[in-house]
Amino acid sequence: MPVVKVLTDGIGELNLCDIGVYRSRGGYEQWKHAVTAMRPADVVELVSKSGLRGRGGAGFPTGRKWSFLPNNGRPRYMVCNCDEAEPGTFKDRMLLEETPHQVLEGILIGSYAIGSRHAFMYIRGEFKRGYEIFMQAVAGARAAGFIGEKLFGTGYSLEVTVHRGAGAYICGEETALLNSLEGKRGEPRLKPPFPAIKGLYGEPTVVNNVETLATLPHLLKNGAEWFSSVGPPKSPGFKIVSVSGHVKRAGNFEVPLGTTLRELLELAGGPRDGRKIVAIQPGGGSSACLFEEHLDLAYDFETMAANGTMLGSGAVVFFDDTTDFVKAAHALVRFYAHESCGQCTPCREGGYWLEVTLERLLHGGGLDSDIEMLVKVAHQMTGINLCPLGDSIEPFLASVVKRFEPQFRAYVKPSVAVSA
Amino acid sequence: MNGTTGTRDFAPVLAQVKPEAERLIAQYPDSRSALLPILHAFQNVEGWVSPEAMTAAGAMLGLPVSVVESTASFYTLFFRRPVGKYVLQVCRNLSCQLNGAEKIMTHIRERLNIGHLETTHDGLFSYEEVECLAACDRAPCMQVNLDFVYDLTRENVDALLREIMAGTYETPPLRQTAKPAANWHVEQDWAQKSPGAREVSSPNDPGGMGDVSGLRMIERLADGPVVLSGRPTEERLIVEGAARLKHTGSANEH
Repeated sequence: MPVVKVLTDGIGELNLCDIGVYRSRGGYEQWKHAVTAMRPADVVELVSKSGLRGRGGAGFPTGRKWSFLPNNGRPRYMVCNCDEAEPGTFKDRMLLEETPHQVLEGILIGSYAIGSRHAFMYIRGEFKRGYEIFMQAVAGARAAGFIGEKLFGTGYSLEVTVHRGAGAYICGEETALLNSLEGKRGEPRLKPPFPAIKGLYGEPTVVNNVETLATLPHLLKNGAEWFSSVGPPKSPGFKIVSVSGHVKRAGNFEVPLGTTLRELLELAGGPRDGRKIVAIQPGGGSSACLFEEHLDLAYDFETMAANGTMLGSGAVVFFDDTTDFVKAAHALVRFYAHESCGQCTPCREGGYWLEVTLERLLHGGGLDSDIEMLVKVAHQMTGINLCPLGDSIEPFLASVVKRFEPQFRAYVKPSVAVSA
Repeated sequence: MNGTTGTRDFAPVLAQVKPEAERLIAQYPDSRSALLPILHAFQNVEGWVSPEAMTAAGAMLGLPVSVVESTASFYTLFFRRPVGKYVLQVCRNLSCQLNGAEKIMTHIRERLNIGHLETTHDGLFSYEEVECLAACDRAPCMQVNLDFVYDLTRENVDALLREIMAGTYETPPLRQTAKPAANWHVEQDWAQKSPGAREVSSPNDPGGMGDVSGLRMIERLADGPVVLSGRPTEERLIVEGAARLKHTGSANEH
């Protein structure tokens, strides 16, 4: 089995929330090394060379994201996005609760790389325990002299503020997150300008995912090539994959990118007894389904994109032959309808109508024409909103309607179909 | 305001939150950033975000109370009505659904005799069906006052409810400073949406979320007429919207 232990090393065995334990394993040494022996540009170059791509969902190259910051002498902000809420994703919560110092060290290194003197950790409101754990980690690191003024005797100072959200999926979208962090409604902003130009408080800002930042200490320690030599050339490195659904042992599995979906299924204990997998949602609630004939595909950014779906946040949900895909589609559509912030009419109204229509279908009031309408509305509401939330309904819905259309038709009451 | 009892002395609450609020404000380059943390602090003390708390938060930050309320209403974890001492939030999203969440939700609803976003008459439990809680490996799951409870079965849910009722459950109750109404915050889904998604009375200023303007948008997205039946409880959205138009139209004719 291709499982590796990089970010997950020690989880479940050691109390990594204890700064002493974390330090005894080399913790914060890379932070000290970065500040005392590297220039920020060296860190950026190392990360660019490694080929690390963002682990939050979009998969944008991290080094490139950093390179967009203008040299305008304005304050810069590093924001860590721990608003994990993509259906099926539970890796950031694990990192937050189990190895908070690793996450914090990543935030510190990232901040130094982009020349930020104030970093923010935005934690999903529901993660109350994770928030408390992280607050303690920050206090411990501050007491040890890793956060604050003139670090390690250099001129570099860095402050870290931990901020807890209050329940809104959309705040995982980076500009909505910035509004929320500014004390506003978590509504996405019109882009451009991108956060690199005008972000938090209108200043140049980088928003990076928890897993992305937690990778940084390992990159500094082991070098760019250690990372870039693993996995496919355009999707290098390791990734924590959250596997759930109809499997025997759901969990987070850290694997080299390029591991096959079948291997992930095996790591998760395989299908339930006597069942077979008929569909796979490979990249969170917003991704299109793959099917049993795709089980031997490599799990990486390129292969997923080439097959009409995406790797997204690294959440893989397996569905076996007992699945009611109308109910599954309803759960996800209801989710996007509920989480639409309401700014853009196609997303606000489209999601609502799709939910109502699916609910009507599930309760026996469906029309034959509904099924075509569902797919059409989901398609037409795509690409015309400020942020990708409104675009997130179509991939799963369209892919399962296409594949499992008889399941949808079976919900149409014959009498209704005739009278229509 | 639903569930409150007349005037009350807010000074002790304010005295308790103020030092914490000052510490929070100092953390940010711009004081408004402290709004969510300050509302959390008030909710910790009072068990909900009361109108007095929103007014006080606004005064601390130099924000109109309308701005505070608009912001608070966006977020599902701010309770703008008093809630039960134990808030059960069960995940209804995909991975939990695949692992039997529906069965668990039905069981809890029957056991407590309340539905989504409702509170038991004794004020002990509030119940909400929520979206993915990032614990899909231990599905079905829920949060009890934001503490995770995993691998739910009818049996362990029953045990948990019994412990809460007996006062022996490990997670402490929320503060309860006002008696909750049986209906917790049913308008939440609407209030959460951005301006435009409210029911409004003027046909020239449509509100969205399934009203007449929403219907027009869906017809455009669907390239044609769509069927008008919604959920029985929400038929009014369409029916009332159309009736309002008709009514106003005829009023103008006279």
